Amino acid sequence: MAATAVTAGRLLRLRAAGAEGHWRRLRGAGLPGGFLQPASADGDAAQRRQVAHFTFQPDPEPLEYGQTQKMNLFQAVTSALDNSLAKDPTAVIFGEDVAFGGVFRCTVGLRDKYGKDRVFNTPLCEQGIVGFGIGIAVTGATAIAEIQFADYIFPAFDQIVNEAAKYRYRSGDLFNCGSLTIRSPWGCVGHGALYHSQSPEAFFAHCPGIKVVIPRSPFQAKGLLLSCIEDKNPCIFFEPKILYRAAVEQVPIEPYNIPLSQAEVIQEGSDVTLVAWGTQVHVIREVASMAHEKLGVSCEVIDLRTIIPWDVDTVCKEECFLNLEAPISRVCGYDTPFPHIFEPFYIPDKWKCYDALRKMINY
Amino acid sequence: MAVAAAAARVWGSSRGLGRVGLLLLRRSGARGLARSHPQRQQQPFSSLDDKPQFPGASAEFVDKLDFIQPNVISGIPIYRVMDRQGQIINPSEDPHLPQEKVLKFYKTMTLLNTMDRILYESQRQGRISFYMTNYGEEGTHVGSAAALDSTDLVFGQYREAGVLMYRNYPLELFMAQCYGNVSDLGKGRQMPVHYGCRERHFVTISSPLATQIPQAARGPGYGILSIRVDGNDVFAVYNATKEARRRAVAENQPFLIEAMTYRIGHHSTSDDSSAYRSVDEVNYWDKQDHPISRLRHYLQSCGWWDDEQEKAWRKQSRKKVMEAFEQAERKLKPSPSLLFSDVYQEMPTQLRKQQESLARHLQTYGEHYPLDHFEK
Repeated sequence: MAATAVTAGRLLRLRAAGAEGHWRRLRGAGLPGGFLQPASADGDAAQRRQVAHFTFQPDPEPLEYGQTQKMNLFQAVTSALDNSLAKDPTAVIFGEDVAFGGVFRCTVGLRDKYGKDRVFNTPLCEQGIVGFGIGIAVTGATAIAEIQFADYIFPAFDQIVNEAAKYRYRSGDLFNCGSLTIRSPWGCVGHGALYHSQSPEAFFAHCPGIKVVIPRSPFQAKGLLLSCIEDKNPCIFFEPKILYRAAVEQVPIEPYNIPLSQAEVIQEGSDVTLVAWGTQVHVIREVASMAHEKLGVSCEVIDLRTIIPWDVDTVCKEECFLNLEAPISRVCGYDTPFPHIFEPFYIPDKWKCYDALRKMINY
Repeated sequence: MAVAAAAARVWGSSRGLGRVGLLLLRRSGARGLARSHPQRQQQPFSSLDDKPQFPGASAEFVDKLDFIQPNVISGIPIYRVMDRQGQIINPSEDPHLPQEKVLKFYKTMTLLNTMDRILYESQRQGRISFYMTNYGEEGTHVGSAAALDSTDLVFGQYREAGVLMYRNYPLELFMAQCYGNVSDLGKGRQMPVHYGCRERHFVTISSPLATQIPQAARGPGYGILSIRVDGNDVFAVYNATKEARRRAVAENQPFLIEAMTYRIGHHSTSDDSSAYRSVDEVNYWDKQDHPISRLRHYLQSCGWWDDEQEKAWRKQSRKKVMEAFEQAERKLKPSPSLLFSDVYQEMPTQLRKQQESLARHLQTYGEHYPLDHFEK
């Protein structure tokens, strides 16, 4: 695992140079002068690619699961998949481009280690990927399907909602596809625009029979993904792609589980409750500290983790409606498709969250 | 209608399913095609050749502008063994099945037909809510079911009950599902005809049909070995399925059988098909090209069936169906608490609360609900 991490790291740096550094490369490529003017050095913010809208905050090293290793989010996913394939001989991983390691490197090394019968590509057909996954899960295999971007999950929507989710219920528990897990990169990434940025969990949030899980960090991702894979119900696991490389923390090498349908109160507070999942958890953590600093407000911060079935008890009591001192405020993207160049204006960043909080305490 | 043949491979007896027939749908993308289908393999790349070098394309260049006409392409020939009068056309294709087996084909198709008539009628009388008949398609069900192993896993669609009938699913359970009574293994969750049986390796039917269309429509396009057969010829269906299954297991690749048939009945009890097709057309299939008639002629020409037996069997099968029907109608429905289970393997807290909430509601408002028909 260590060797893989080092190699992956090196490849990562080359990739980074390829993507973000291409302006620099062309400059040095000996092209006739004046072909491309160097990016201005005077810090014109509008010209530079945007800085992330959050700061990843790693959790303290977990001590109760044995030896840990520094991993980013995609490496934590690889580790979970590796653990699964090692202990469950029926486990298989499939999807577009997973064989060579995946477009986000989540399956690097797994085909070499476990063979082509356990890690294999599918055609470009999301309906087929999920339909096939349901089929083999029904026969008893542990099916781990990848949808390359959550934005492409919609051709599989019918399979997920009308087949997978209802399999056990409609057959009176004669059949089920509980050993199916669908993983998919999710959420905004700075430049993904309409079709590489979506967070479609809301479409599944009212579909009984499936579980939808979204981690905020590498440690959470591995434990939650292992729980999804072992869970006896079909699960969708959305992986915040912007955290794949940006989120790094100490993650246990051995398998461990984080329970599903349990929200986590990551910070206690008494005045305002902030609820989020995935990348946004880091945004609201910062909002909580801004609120504390500037407004003297004490915020409770909750990571929902499982979207459905969700942990109602932790987040709110049914009677809380009468105990609220202000209406609940939702801060989200606007009701438009996810734009490209306007992303900095679109996303529910810390300033918008902070502003909503400020208005709320002054209600 | 299309039937994909199942390859039986054992995953191990995990999850209590025992021996399981595994349907391996390995559809090919550009890369997959080259590796798994040698006959479609592109020539090795050579910059010296004037042949097309596109990966996955095995074709020649042409310099005449011509559009391909769809009708010309879809002339896939239809394999059959018997003519419309039930006579074997090419003796070497006769599967020479033993009398007992062929009689089982016939009795399965006719029992299904009888059950269909009675249950369709019962819907008309308001005794069940809905029904779909299998008229005209019985040959496809029985021919294919007979060619599979009884442990092969079948993913059927709503008009394939004959497969389950062939696998000896009792009338009591067909009726139980249609009535949604306490004996229904599906716990009353689905509309009639959505049968399922774990013991008989028949996965519970679901309504959405379009889930199967992509596979059905594009066999050759997906690089799947395909055949078109006369679905009203039970021997043709049998032969094709038998061979497809054998090869699927031996060669580890999928096969697609398109069984051509005709739906004689209305789509369902909610449909009056005279609105969109001619009665003459329906009569043609009913009278002149029906799987049951064709098999009966074959049986009669072998001396294995006659009018006496036909009369006796009609009476006997009708009696069996009526008995099962009357019993099913008398049974209670399952307890309303079963509305809430099996959504997940474990019942989430929220659902348990909803279940309790319904129980409380019924304590106060129970008189407005048909509780007498349900188990407590």
